[in-house]
Amino acid sequence: MVKNITIFTTNTCAYCQMVKTYLRAKGVGYDEVNLDENPHRRIEAHSLSGALTVPVTVVTKTDDSQEIIVGYNLSKLVPAIS
Amino acid sequence: MSQQIVVYGASWCPDCHRSRTFLDEHHISYDWIDIDEDPAAADKVAQINHGNKTIPTIIFPDDSILVEPSDKALSEKLVTLNIMQPDNKQSAVVTHDVIMVGAGPAALTAAIYTTREDIDTLLFEKGVIGGLAAVTDLIDNYPGFTNGVHGLELADSLRGQAERFGAVIELGEVMSIKDEGKMKRLETTSGDMLARAVLIATGSDYKKTGVPGEAEYYARGVHYCATCDGAFYRDKKLAVIGGGNSAVQESIFLTRFASHIDLLVRSTLKASEVLRSELKQYVAAGKITVHEGVKPKEIVGDDNGVNKIITTDANDKEVVYDIDGVFVFIGLLPNTGFLKSSGIELDAVGLIKTDQNLETNIKGVFAAGDVRSGATMQIASAAGEGATAALKIREYLEGKL
Repeated sequence: MVKNITIFTTNTCAYCQMVKTYLRAKGVGYDEVNLDENPHRRIEAHSLSGALTVPVTVVTKTDDSQEIIVGYNLSKLVPAIS
Repeated sequence: MSQQIVVYGASWCPDCHRSRTFLDEHHISYDWIDIDEDPAAADKVAQINHGNKTIPTIIFPDDSILVEPSDKALSEKLVTLNIMQPDNKQSAVVTHDVIMVGAGPAALTAAIYTTREDIDTLLFEKGVIGGLAAVTDLIDNYPGFTNGVHGLELADSLRGQAERFGAVIELGEVMSIKDEGKMKRLETTSGDMLARAVLIATGSDYKKTGVPGEAEYYARGVHYCATCDGAFYRDKKLAVIGGGNSAVQESIFLTRFASHIDLLVRSTLKASEVLRSELKQYVAAGKITVHEGVKPKEIVGDDNGVNKIITTDANDKEVVYDIDGVFVFIGLLPNTGFLKSSGIELDAVGLIKTDQNLETNIKGVFAAGDVRSGATMQIASAAGEGATAALKIREYLEGKL
């Protein structure tokens, strides 16, 4: 079961919009960390994902395990939130 | 019973459309007669219906007649006549008038046109709504925007406009298209679907250089989306590979983050005059350095990411650039891999061949935008082709093409 979802985004990133659009369409809530507004949190996104890219979607489960999805990747996002 | 089923109707009649769709879905052939275009047929319908031109009026091979039948009544009749099996599973497959593969400027524009005509339209998008246009920072040559328009903003507007008229965008993938005559079967991530017409507008993706290190450092120093990943290079040094409009436009965008950009052009700059003169300002300010005749050889890095790119210059001499990341914009690759077994004809570079109606070699399957052979790879052209394709699809659905 999903406890919460955090998405690291930027203002100009179209793939970030797609992750948000998908979750909204499925009625799934999320928190957003906008790296343009919070540039200091880039390090956090990088250390979680190992990648220098957004979106980074962090799905935290009820047992506190985490699944990190880099990019707009439905084949990983769909099973992670179901 | 060798005689065909004959459906008398009119193009404006929703019940006629429903009955035809039912027959099409079940691969049952019939003759279609539009009574608006055939006065003798109109008289025949009036004769059958005691003076009323009630449509659809369907005459079966045994001379039995159904007038305005429900799908259930039609199904029962076809089973009685042994034309259809009682447990035909195909009835469970979702059917649409048009399925558009892709939701970039071409498909979204086409959808605006088809949905305004009440043509039931479903779009499939496996990537970003708006396509490559959505990931482009600023689009300066799309008509109607005095100061240009941000790609994401244009994509949002096109999507909103198409959805206002009833277009439905499914976030998923079409894996294959099969021609089944009047109906086309699409294998999708939401199951098999049938469409009376298909528009392929899957566009293209940025090409990769294929040099060592490119795949290894993907998203850890090698990038294809400046608007997504540029923010990670605040005060860092970057290389941009490419010399066309995208490479120059995105280099300019990246200057808002990077301390310096080496623009590595394999031959000579091919960007438009306007972009080149804008580029000069950044060159003069020391933000961008243009290197022409440079061929990338290897992208080198360590556990922390990329730290250099090895190239050869015009004299075949090795030149190394110390950088923190590389952005690649070296041209486009058509998204036609999923058409391999479809029988749709492609050109030598994998773009879809079409005729003057933007129709492929398969009747009822159309293509528009960057994925079409002969396309000019411009967003304005893609939108124009989308509009043309939509009008041709309407003609096709009305049996006029």
